[in-house]
Amino acid sequence: MIETYLRQSQNTGKTFFDELAAPGGVVREHWKKLALAYDELGIEKMEQRSREISQELRDNGVTYNIYSDPEGINRPWKLDPVPMVFSQQEWESIERGLTQRAELLNLVLSDIYGERKLIKEGFIPFEMVFTHKGFLRQADKIKIPGKFQLIQYSADLVRSPLGKMWVLHDRTDAPSGAGYTLENRAAMTRVFPDLIRENQVRKISSYYQALKNTLTKLALQNKENPRVVLLSPGTANETYFEHAYLASSLGFTLAFGQDLTVSDGFVWLKTLRGLEKVDVIVRRVDDIFCDPLEFRGDSHLGVVGLMEAVRQKKVTIINPLGCRILENPGLMAFLPRLSKHLLNEELILPSVATWWCGHEKEKKYVLDNLPFLIIRSIYRSNENLPYIGSELSRKQIDDLRNEINTRPYLYVAQEVVSFSTTPSLTGSNLEACNAIFRSYLVADVEKQQYNVMPGGLSRSFPTKGEFIISNQSGGISKDTWVLGPSPESQAKPVLNQPILRQVKNVLPSRTGESLFWLGRYLDRAIINVRMMRIVLKIYNERDDEIHPESNQTLVILLKSLSALTGTLPGFTSPDQIKLRQPESELLSLAVETGRPGTLAQSLQSFLANGHAVRDRLSLDTWRILDSISEEFELMKANGSDLRKIYHNLDQFIIKLMAFIGLNNDNMTRASSWRLLNIGRFIESAINTCTILLAALSNNVKPDVEKQLMELVLMCNESLITYRYLYRSTLQLPGVLNLLLVNEDNPKSVAFLIAKIDEHLNHLPGNKRDDGLSPAHKKLLEALTMIRLCDVNKLVGAARVNDLHKKELTHFLQHLITLLGQASTIIFESYFSPTQSQYSFVKSNNALPEL
Amino acid sequence: MKYKITHITRYEYQLPASLCHNLVYQVPVSQSFQQVEKVDYHINPEPHFLLTREDFFNNKFIYFSIEEFHRNLSVEIKSEIKVDEPVWINAIPGNTMPWESVVSWLRSTNADNNIRQFYLESDHVVFIPGIQEYALMSFTPGRPVMEAMLDLNARIFNDFDFTPGFTDVTTKLEEVFLHRKGVCQDFAHFALACLRSIGLAARYVSGYIETLPPPGKPKLFGSDASHAWIALYIPETGWTEFDATNNLLVNDRHIRTAIGRDFADVVPLKGIVYSGAGQRMFVNVDVSRLEETV
Repeated sequence: MIETYLRQSQNTGKTFFDELAAPGGVVREHWKKLALAYDELGIEKMEQRSREISQELRDNGVTYNIYSDPEGINRPWKLDPVPMVFSQQEWESIERGLTQRAELLNLVLSDIYGERKLIKEGFIPFEMVFTHKGFLRQADKIKIPGKFQLIQYSADLVRSPLGKMWVLHDRTDAPSGAGYTLENRAAMTRVFPDLIRENQVRKISSYYQALKNTLTKLALQNKENPRVVLLSPGTANETYFEHAYLASSLGFTLAFGQDLTVSDGFVWLKTLRGLEKVDVIVRRVDDIFCDPLEFRGDSHLGVVGLMEAVRQKKVTIINPLGCRILENPGLMAFLPRLSKHLLNEELILPSVATWWCGHEKEKKYVLDNLPFLIIRSIYRSNENLPYIGSELSRKQIDDLRNEINTRPYLYVAQEVVSFSTTPSLTGSNLEACNAIFRSYLVADVEKQQYNVMPGGLSRSFPTKGEFIISNQSGGISKDTWVLGPSPESQAKPVLNQPILRQVKNVLPSRTGESLFWLGRYLDRAIINVRMMRIVLKIYNERDDEIHPESNQTLVILLKSLSALTGTLPGFTSPDQIKLRQPESELLSLAVETGRPGTLAQSLQSFLANGHAVRDRLSLDTWRILDSISEEFELMKANGSDLRKIYHNLDQFIIKLMAFIGLNNDNMTRASSWRLLNIGRFIESAINTCTILLAALSNNVKPDVEKQLMELVLMCNESLITYRYLYRSTLQLPGVLNLLLVNEDNPKSVAFLIAKIDEHLNHLPGNKRDDGLSPAHKKLLEALTMIRLCDVNKLVGAARVNDLHKKELTHFLQHLITLLGQASTIIFESYFSPTQSQYSFVKSNNALPEL
Repeated sequence: MKYKITHITRYEYQLPASLCHNLVYQVPVSQSFQQVEKVDYHINPEPHFLLTREDFFNNKFIYFSIEEFHRNLSVEIKSEIKVDEPVWINAIPGNTMPWESVVSWLRSTNADNNIRQFYLESDHVVFIPGIQEYALMSFTPGRPVMEAMLDLNARIFNDFDFTPGFTDVTTKLEEVFLHRKGVCQDFAHFALACLRSIGLAARYVSGYIETLPPPGKPKLFGSDASHAWIALYIPETGWTEFDATNNLLVNDRHIRTAIGRDFADVVPLKGIVYSGAGQRMFVNVDVSRLEETV
C-alpha cells in the first residue's frame, strides 16, 4: 500500500510537499512506524478500521449541521483513519511559533482597545482597524484583569511547497472544533490503540484541563464557586454537537440566549429554581449577535444588556467581545514588523503572503496581478466570500478593480498557495490529499503562558490546491498526532489540585421545558404507533371494500385515530370519503411531517426536543435517539407503502421503549427526570381518556364492542393484565376499571395522575403555606372523580335510541379538560410563556417640521 | 443664547411588556460654544437599573432597564443650555484652505485619528454611485473648503425637498439621492457621503434647533422636534457645523446632544422590549428661549 503511494507521489510531477513521502520515494522518518503498520494491516483491514471509526462516531452521535440545507441537520461527522503527523522536533518549533503569535496578537488586541499607540505610531494602519466591523467601539477600554485579553486562539496552518508551516487564518472570535478534536481522538484510540501507544502520540487532555481551569479562574465576582455557561446559538448551529459535548465534558451549563437575562447589571441563568447568577460565559455566538441592544438589533441569539454587564465587570465573556478584529487578514502583512517592535523577535510562523490594499504601492501590485491572487474582504462573513482571481471573468475583474479603488482599505490579496498533501484513505486507496491543520491555544492564567494543544483538528480535501475550505465544502477530518514523549512538566501527575466544590446542579427553564415536551411527544409517538398498528391490522383483515355499516369496528377505529391524533375531522368527516378510501389519509398520518398530530410530526418534535437537551442525556441515550432518527428516515423513504411502514412501526415501539427504559435506569431522580415523566404521564392520561371516549363510549353491537375492548386493551398494553385479573370475557365495567380506576395498574389514569402529583411535589417552588397549588387542585379533582366513580353506573343501561353512553362521555370529557388545565398551569408556572423580542429604535421619525 | 429644552418620548404597548432595556442619547454635554447649566431626567416607571456612561465619541448616554410588567414608558429630559456664537461665524469662507490641502493633511499621520475616523464610510454614509460627482460640482479644484461647503449646503437645500414621511431609518441613501426627498437626517447623511467621498472628515450632529412660530401666532409647547446636521473638519476653525435642511451655517440657535459617524451611533432612544405585541410612540420636543439674567 505504501509502496504504491510512494510511487504515485513520485509521478505527479507537481511540486506538492507530501507529508509522508520524501523526495526520492522514501518514507519520512517520523512516518516510518505508521507506514509499516499500514502495510501490515493491508488495505482491506484499513477499510475495516475506517468503518469501525465511522460506527464509533455514529454511536457517539458526532454530527454537524449545514445551515442552508434542510436535509443538512445532523450530518454524520467524518474522520479519516490516517492522521496528520508531526515529529517531535517539528512540533517544538510549531509550538513556539504559535505561542509567539498568540502573545503578539494579545498585545495587539490590548492596544487596539486601549491606547491605540500602534495605530498612532503607524505600525497598524488606522483604516484597517477603524473600518473593520470587528472593531467594536462599545468594547473600547474594557479589560480583563491580568495580561491576557485573548483567551482562546486558533490558527489554521498549511505547509508550503518548501516544507515550512504557514498560517492561513487566525481565528480569535469563537474558534470551533476543539470538541470534535476530542471525539476524533477518542475514536482513534478505540480503533488504533496499538498505533497510538507505539508511536507515543501525545495526549491532548492537558489542553481541556487548562481551558476549564482558566475559564473558572476568570470569574470576577464569585471566585470560590463560579458558574460558567457555554453560550450556544442553538440546535441548528453548524457545530451544536460540540457545544453540548464540550459543555457536558467540561462540566459547564449549556445555555442559549433565551436562557440568560440581565438584571441589576448581572447576568442570570433562568432555572427551575429561579435565577442563578452567571460568572463566566464562554461563547460560541458571534460577537455582534451577543447583545441586540448594543449591536445587531435583530439578533435573537444574544442577551439584552450583556455588554453593559461586561462593562460593569459583573460577568466575563470568553473570548471577549471585540476579538474578531484580530481575524482581519490585513494584519498578517504587518505582523513581522509588529513582532520585532513588540517582542523584539523575528516572527517564527510566517503568514501566507498578504497585501493590504490600503497602501498605494500594495494596491497597485494587487490591481496589476488580480488574476493570480485571492482577494478577500478584511471582514470574514458569509456575504463576503473570497474572490479567486483566476476564476473571474473580465467583467468581474473590472468590477472588483472598481470596488478596490473605491474602498481599498477593505481588501487584502493573498498568494494562491498549493499546500502539502498527506495520505488519506479514499475508497480503497491511499491517496494524496491536501491538508490543513487547526491548532488550539488557551491562556493558562495560573502559569501565565499560553497552553498549546499537542494536536488539533486537521482536515483534508480531495481537490488539490483548493484554497477555500470548510466542513461545509465536503472535506474530511483527521486526528492530529504529535509524536514523542511528553515534556517533563506534563508527564508528572498534577498534584495539589484544588478540590472543586460540586456546583449546584441547575436546570435552565428552557431545558426543563424541552424535557417536559420530550416526555409529551414521547408518549404521543408511542400511542400513535400502537393505535396505528392496530388500525392497520384490522384494515388488512378487511374485505375489499369498506362499508361503513358492516365494518363498524374498523370505522370506529379510524375515527378514534383521527380523535387521538387531533387531526379532525379526518375520518369523522360526514362525507365518509376518507372512510371509504382510508389509505392516503393513513399514509399522511404516518409520514406527513408538516401536519400537526401525525406520527411523523410527533417523532420530529420528540427528536428536536431530545436534541435540545442532549447535554442532559447519557451517551447510550443519544445512541437510541440517533437510531430512532435513522428509523424515521427509513419510514419517510417508505412513504407510500403501508406494509413497509407497518414494519417501521414495530421498530419504533422497541426503540422508544428502550429510550424510556434507559432513562428510568440512568437519569438521576432530579428535576429533569421528573419533568420528563410529568410530560409523559399527562400525555398518557389524556390519550387513554381520548381513546376510551372515541372507541368505547358508543352504543354498538355487542360483538363489535367486544372486539373494540380487546383492541383498546391491546393499544394500552393491558390485555394480558385484564385476562390475568378478570379471567372472564371482556366487559366494559372491567375494562374501565382497569384503565381508569385501578391504581395498581401503572397504565391506569388514576395511577398516572397520582404519579404526576408526586413528581410535582418534588419540583422546586411547589411548597406553599396556603394550601394546595392550583395544579395540585386540578389533579386532585381529577383523581377524586375517578376514585369516587361507579363504573357500572357510568356504563349505564343503554337507552334504545342513544348513540352514545352519555354519562361515560361526560365523565371522560370532564377528565380530559381537567388534565389539560393542570398541564397548562404546570407549564406556565415553570416556563415563562414565550414573549417576542422587539427591537425598537424610538424617536426615529421625530424629525423637525420646519 | 440660553434655552430650556424639554424632550418627552412616550411609549404605549398594546400588551404589557415584562422587560425592557434601553439606551438614551439625549443628554447634552458642555462643549465648545455650549454650556449645560442644568439637566434633569425622569423615567416612568422607575427603572430598576440606571446609569449614565460616556461612549466612544464622548457622548453621554443613559442605560436603563425596567424589569416589571408595564404598559407605558416615558422618558423625559429637561435641560437648560447656554449657546454661544461659534468662532466660525467670523471666518471668511474665501480665505480658508483649498479643500485638497485639507484632504492631504488628513491622509498624513499628522492628523489625529479621532478626526480621521470621520472620513471613512459608515452604516448610513455609503459611497453610492454619483455621490463624488455631486460633491465635486461644489468642490472645484483649489476652492477654499468652507466656501465649497457653503455651496454644497445650498445645493442640497435647493435640490432636495423636505418631505416628512417619505423616508424612515431603513431608507437607503440611493433612494434619497434618486428621489431627492427626505428629512434632516437624510440630508445630513447625504452631505456626509459627499464630503467623505472626496476625502474630507465630517461627522453627524444630533440636537435641536430653535424654531419661531409663524408671524403673529403664539409658539405652541411641544411643536419642536429633534434635528440633525453635520460638522466638517476645517483646520482653521475645527469642527464647523452646517445645516443643509435650513441652508444655514450653524450659529447660536442649534443645541447639540450627540455626535457620531451617522444616525446609528446616536439614536435618541433605542431599546429591546419583551412583549406580546406592538407599540405606539409619541414624541414631544420643546425648545424655548430663556431670558438671560445679567
